[in-house]
Amino acid sequence: MAESTRNLSSIAKPPSGFDWSKLGIYTVLFAGVIVAVGPFLWMISASFMTLSEVSLTRLLPENLLWENYSTALRRANFLDIELVTDPVTGILQSISVSGYLWNSLRITLISVVGSLAVCIPAAYAFARMNFVGRNVIFALFLSTMMIPGIVMLIPHLLTVIWLGRLSESLFGPAGAWFNNWPSLTVPFFASVFNIFLLRQFFLQIPNDLWDAARIDGAGHPRFLRSVVLPLSKAPIMTIITLGFIGSWNALMWPLLVTINDDWRPIAVGLANFVTADTPGDLNLQMAASVITVIPILILYFLAQKQFTEGIAQTGIRG
Amino acid sequence: MGNSAREFFASRRGRVVKENFTAYLFLAPAATLIGLFGLFPVAFAFFVSLHRWRRFPDHYSGLANYEKALGNLAFILFFWLALLLLATGFLLIRRLRANLSDSRRVVDYAQIACGLVLGYSILLVVDWFFKLIPIVMVIPRQVRGQNTSLELFMEKLGESFLHADVLLAGNQMLAALLCSALVVAVLLRRFPHQLRGQVIAQSMGVITAILGGIFLLQLTLAEIDAALAAARESGEALPIWSQLVFVTCGACLLALAWVIFQRGIRATENRRFLVLILAGISLAVGGYLLMAEMPAALTSADEDLLQGFWITIMYALGTVPVQLSIGLLLAYLLFQPIRYRAFFRMVYFIPYITPFVATSIVFRIIFNAPETAPANRMLSIFGIEPQRWILERNPVGELLGLPDFLAGPALALVVIMIYSTWTYIGYDAVIFLAGLGNIPGELYEAARIDGASGWRIFRHITLPMLSPTVFFLSLVAIIGTFQAFTQIWILRTGAVGSKVNTASVYIFDELQNSNRYGYASSMAFVLFAMILALTLFQNRVMGRRVFYG
Repeated sequence: MAESTRNLSSIAKPPSGFDWSKLGIYTVLFAGVIVAVGPFLWMISASFMTLSEVSLTRLLPENLLWENYSTALRRANFLDIELVTDPVTGILQSISVSGYLWNSLRITLISVVGSLAVCIPAAYAFARMNFVGRNVIFALFLSTMMIPGIVMLIPHLLTVIWLGRLSESLFGPAGAWFNNWPSLTVPFFASVFNIFLLRQFFLQIPNDLWDAARIDGAGHPRFLRSVVLPLSKAPIMTIITLGFIGSWNALMWPLLVTINDDWRPIAVGLANFVTADTPGDLNLQMAASVITVIPILILYFLAQKQFTEGIAQTGIRG
Repeated sequence: MGNSAREFFASRRGRVVKENFTAYLFLAPAATLIGLFGLFPVAFAFFVSLHRWRRFPDHYSGLANYEKALGNLAFILFFWLALLLLATGFLLIRRLRANLSDSRRVVDYAQIACGLVLGYSILLVVDWFFKLIPIVMVIPRQVRGQNTSLELFMEKLGESFLHADVLLAGNQMLAALLCSALVVAVLLRRFPHQLRGQVIAQSMGVITAILGGIFLLQLTLAEIDAALAAARESGEALPIWSQLVFVTCGACLLALAWVIFQRGIRATENRRFLVLILAGISLAVGGYLLMAEMPAALTSADEDLLQGFWITIMYALGTVPVQLSIGLLLAYLLFQPIRYRAFFRMVYFIPYITPFVATSIVFRIIFNAPETAPANRMLSIFGIEPQRWILERNPVGELLGLPDFLAGPALALVVIMIYSTWTYIGYDAVIFLAGLGNIPGELYEAARIDGASGWRIFRHITLPMLSPTVFFLSLVAIIGTFQAFTQIWILRTGAVGSKVNTASVYIFDELQNSNRYGYASSMAFVLFAMILALTLFQNRVMGRRVFYG
C-alpha cells in the first residue's frame, strides 16, 4: 500500500491556480477539517478559560489563564518534581520525579526497548534462517493476533499475579509484578505485530549481502548487528511511534493491574481525574486533556510518515 | 575434544544443527512470552471458565458459568461445538487419505502412528498441566503472610507436583512422551529421507480433534443429565432435549435454505429458479418456526449480558456503515486532482491517533446536559430544544416520538456512536485513499472513452475495485466495536446505568467489581465465539462479492 500512496501523486496532478469548479469539493473537505479538528481547537481554547466561560460555551477565553495548566498538573497528579537540596550548602542532592506523565514515559521506554530486544531476533530468525518448524511456529504466533483482548484479560491477570509472587520471593518487594512496571510492560514485549512488520522488512534485504558477509566470516548475530539493523531504521521508527501511542493509550489493562499512583499511566490517571470529579472543573479537565494529547501530537507531526505508512501498510494501530 | 567439535560444526550436518540452534536461541524470548501471554491464556481462560474462581481457584463447576450466561442455549452451543470438532476430525481423516500415496507403504503407516502418538501425548501434557494449574495457582495465597522466601515458594511448587492426581497424570504424560520420542527416533533412523511433516501434522490433528470432540460431547451430555436430574428433583420440567433438537434442526434448515437460495439465484433455467427459490423460502420458514424455541432456551440467561450483546449490535450497526461511507466520500474527494492533499490527509488522521481518553473527555463536555453545553447551543441555533445527551437513558426513537419497535439505542449510546464515527473516519479515509491509488488509471480512461458518466464510473469501476478494502475495513470496524472500551468507560454516566454497556464493558465490570473470574471468562469466551462466527460469516457472504482483480 505504501507504493500506492506514492503513485497517487502521479495519477492525479493538481492543476496550477485555483480551480473554481472544484469549489464544492473544497467546501466538503474543509467542513471535514472543521469537524476533525474543531473539538481540538475548542479543547485548547477552553483549557485557558474560567469555569463559567467553559460552562457557557464561549469560543475564546477573555484572558489566557495559564495557571489552569499548573493547577491541572498538580490536581491531576500529572507531574511532580521535587528538588532536594542540602540545607547547609544549598547543593542539589537529589531529584525525585513522580506523576502520571513520568510514569507513562517510563512505561513507554521500557516497553519499546523490551519489545525491540525481543522482536528483532525473532523476526530475523523467521526471515533469514532455516530451522525445523519455522512455518508452524510462525502460524502459531500469527494466530494469537486474532484473539480479542477481553479473553486474555483474566489469564493475563492470573499469570501476572503468580509470576509476581515468584519474582517477589526472588528479589524482594522490588520484584513485584502487580502494580509495578513488569505487569504493565512484559506481557507486551513479544508483539506479534512488530515481529511481522520487521520480518517483512528483513525479507527484502538482498541475499547478496548475506553471502558477502558469510565469505567475510560473519555469522548470523554479526550480520544482524552490523548489516541488518543499520538498514532497518524505518521499521524500527514505525515500531517506536506505534508503541508510543499504544502505551500512551492503554486503559483497560492498567486499570486492572495498578492500585496506586506509583506506576499508574496517564490514560488511567486522566480517566480517574475526570470521572472522579463530576461535574467538576471542566476547564481543568480540558487542560489535563491537552497535556495528554500534546506529546502524541508532537510525535505525530515529527514522524508523520511512520504513522501513516505504518498504519496504511498494516491497518493496525499499536 | 575442542577440535572435534570444531570439525563437527564445519561439516554440512554440523552447520545445519548450528543454524537450528541459533534460530531457536533467537526465538526463545519471543516464543516464551507469546506462549505465556498469547497461546497459553486461551486454553487457560477456557479452563478458568469451567470453574468457580474468585481471584483463586475454587472448585470445578462444569458448564455452570456458561449456563448462567446463556441459559439452556449454553448446552446447545457446546453440543454444536463438540459436533464441529468431531466433523473436523473426520474431515482431516479424508484429507489424510488423499495425501497418502496410492500404494500404501510402511512409511505411511509409521508416520500416521507417529502423529497419533504425538497428538495423544500432547493431550496428556495438557491434561497434566491443567491438573497442576489449580494447585500451583493457590501458592501465592498460601504463602501470603508468611515470610516469603524462594525456598518456601519452591517447596510449595515441589509439593504441588507430588499431589496424587498430578502425579498420576504426570506419569502417564511421561510414559507417552517417552513412547513418542522412541517412535520419532525409530522413524528418523529407519526412513531418514522419506518423512513428510504434513502427514504427521494431520494425524496429530485427527486425534486431537476427535478426542477433544468426544471429551466435549461427554461433558455436555453429563451436564445436561445433571441439569435434568436437578430439575426433576425440584419438580420442574426442563425441556433441554426438545430445545436442543428444535434449535439444531432450525439452524440446519436455515443453513440449507441459504444454500438452496444461492443455487436458485445462480440458476439459468426459469423453472429451476422458481422451484429452488420456493424450496428455499419454505425451508427458511420452517427453520424460523423451529428457531422460535430459541427465546425459551434463553429464559434463564443473564439479561445484562444479552442486553450487552444487543447494545454491541446496535453500536456496530450505527457506526460501521456511517463511518465507512463518509470515509469513502472523503477519500474519493481527496483523490480528485486537488491541492493541499497532504494537509487534508494529515488533519483527518488526527482524531484517530490522539489518545481516546482525552478526546472522549472533550466529547463528554460537548455533549453535556446543561442548556449551555456546546451541543445544546448548536441545537438552539436550529430551534431544537436542549437534550440531556450523555445523561439520557431514553431511546432516541422515543424522544423523536416514534413507535416502540423503532425505539433504538439510548441517546447516550448515540453520543458514543458519534464519537466512534468521528475517530475512525480519518483512518478509513486514509486506507481508502491507498486503495484508490491501487486502481490502474487505464480502467478509468477506457470507461471515459466508452462515454461512462462519473456516477457510473464510480459504481462499476471504483466500487468493485475497492471491494477488498471495504471488506477489510468493515471487518476491522466490526471487531473494533466488539472490543470498544475506552470511549464507553469515559462517556458513560451514572444516570444511564447499563444502557450503554456493550458486552465487553459488562464483562470488565463483572471482573473488576465482583472478581468473578470464572464467570467473566465464560462470558469472554461467548464473545470470542461470536466474533469468530461473525468473521467467518462475513468471509463467506461478503468475501464472495469481493473482487480481487
